[in-house]
Amino acid sequence: MNLGLEFKKTKRTGLIPAFAAGGILAASIPILNMAVRAEMYTGLVAAPVQILLDANWSIMSMLNLLLITVGATLLYHAEYENNALQKMCSLPARESGLFFGKFLLMILLCAMTLTLEALGIAFCTAHWFSQSAGLSAGLCTEILQNFGYELLLLLPAAALSLLLASACKNMWVSLGIGVICVFIATILPIGRFVPSLFPFAMPYRLLAGTAADIALAIAALLELSAISLGEIILIKIRRSLT
Amino acid sequence: MSFLSLISIEFHKIRRSKILLILLTAAVFLWLPAIFHGDVSFRTSADFGILPENNFMIQGFLGMSWFMFPAAMVVCTVLLQQTERNNHGILKMLALPVSTVGLCLAKFVVLLCLAALQIALTVGMYYISAAIVSHTQNYPFVLPLPFVLREAGLIFLYSIPMLTFFWLVSVCIQTPIFSIGIELASIVPSVLIINTKLWFAYPMAYPLFAVSNEYGRLASAMTPSDVNLTPLLIVALSSSVLCLFLSCLRFGKYERR
Repeated sequence: MNLGLEFKKTKRTGLIPAFAAGGILAASIPILNMAVRAEMYTGLVAAPVQILLDANWSIMSMLNLLLITVGATLLYHAEYENNALQKMCSLPARESGLFFGKFLLMILLCAMTLTLEALGIAFCTAHWFSQSAGLSAGLCTEILQNFGYELLLLLPAAALSLLLASACKNMWVSLGIGVICVFIATILPIGRFVPSLFPFAMPYRLLAGTAADIALAIAALLELSAISLGEIILIKIRRSLT
Repeated sequence: MSFLSLISIEFHKIRRSKILLILLTAAVFLWLPAIFHGDVSFRTSADFGILPENNFMIQGFLGMSWFMFPAAMVVCTVLLQQTERNNHGILKMLALPVSTVGLCLAKFVVLLCLAALQIALTVGMYYISAAIVSHTQNYPFVLPLPFVLREAGLIFLYSIPMLTFFWLVSVCIQTPIFSIGIELASIVPSVLIINTKLWFAYPMAYPLFAVSNEYGRLASAMTPSDVNLTPLLIVALSSSVLCLFLSCLRFGKYERR
């Protein structure tokens, strides 16, 4: 019920077209990159999907993160704009349900964006790396594995930006903090494990086939539960203060 | 009402907005990696033939002009638009005998001042972090003020066309997610565009180009690209004037349908 309600609320906010446009924009990056300088990549000896992700994922995930930050800010802005949040709080429903409803919606939106990006990568593989014999079943599972993993790594950032958005009444404050978080992620050293535990740095990591993958996935789940707990505590504190 | 009092009113409106805190946080985080990795400047100085103190300053400014500064300016445009739209303040402003063009330009002047403030905060944080790193690395990293101010002024001048574009987008597009989305997404490609010959056609890439060109000028191992001023000035001036003109034209149109 929550998810359906949240979905209806997004009707005139342009959230769904924006996520679709963001996904298409991000998907066009590897395609443009290959169209301009395919010879730089087709000669490399590695799995085509890996080559494409190595070359383009940093810009693609930055776009994803910006999209998530703006999306989360606006999801809560809709509640704050005409004091709708006060009305929601007076309903016989859990206040935290609002957060989890929005989070579920966010997962769906992220999944949609990542699907579009996966299609972009699949197109590049089929079009420029013809030696991999078109779209085989193995290729599909490889892309699914990679993007499923990226979806999991994207979730802590989505939850954290929703938490920030729910904490700040003014849109520019939550957007400002979100933008600073995206910026911090860009200056953290790449490739090392501990810095990539920062939720906004996590989506830059790729599936590498090592033990660190599983550790990072567990860390993502732990962060998710910590952020959810943080939101519940925030609601409790705010209710006791007002 | 005179233009100056319009500007001072606009400043009053954002007094309690906490924007200063956000801009300051951005400036602090910008210099933190430079403080922790003070020794990196010595390594790059050997590779590119640039003095460590120059490298220290330019690297910080590069990080700022690539993402932090444009993104902070996007946040500022959101602030300027949303303070009015909350509680329909803009409707009351439009009902007053004040010219809408003046109102629009006053808000843009505030945006320019916020940009100058962000750059000034960055310069201030530069001096603090340079002093700290000079202490930890036993090497004088602090550069003379006129030199640093010249670089800062250059970034400000080069960023004006970008700011007019951001202002136009935020005035014209009423749905916040599209205006913010377009502005933020327009920042990302600038890192690719500065390496092409047509960089001057893309105002969002100007600040980053200005700083990376300064890097080339200060490093002996790199050659700065010749800045052909004629096309740059033509594109920059015409796009800025066009953006400002269109935003003045569109300002308040949505509310007065």
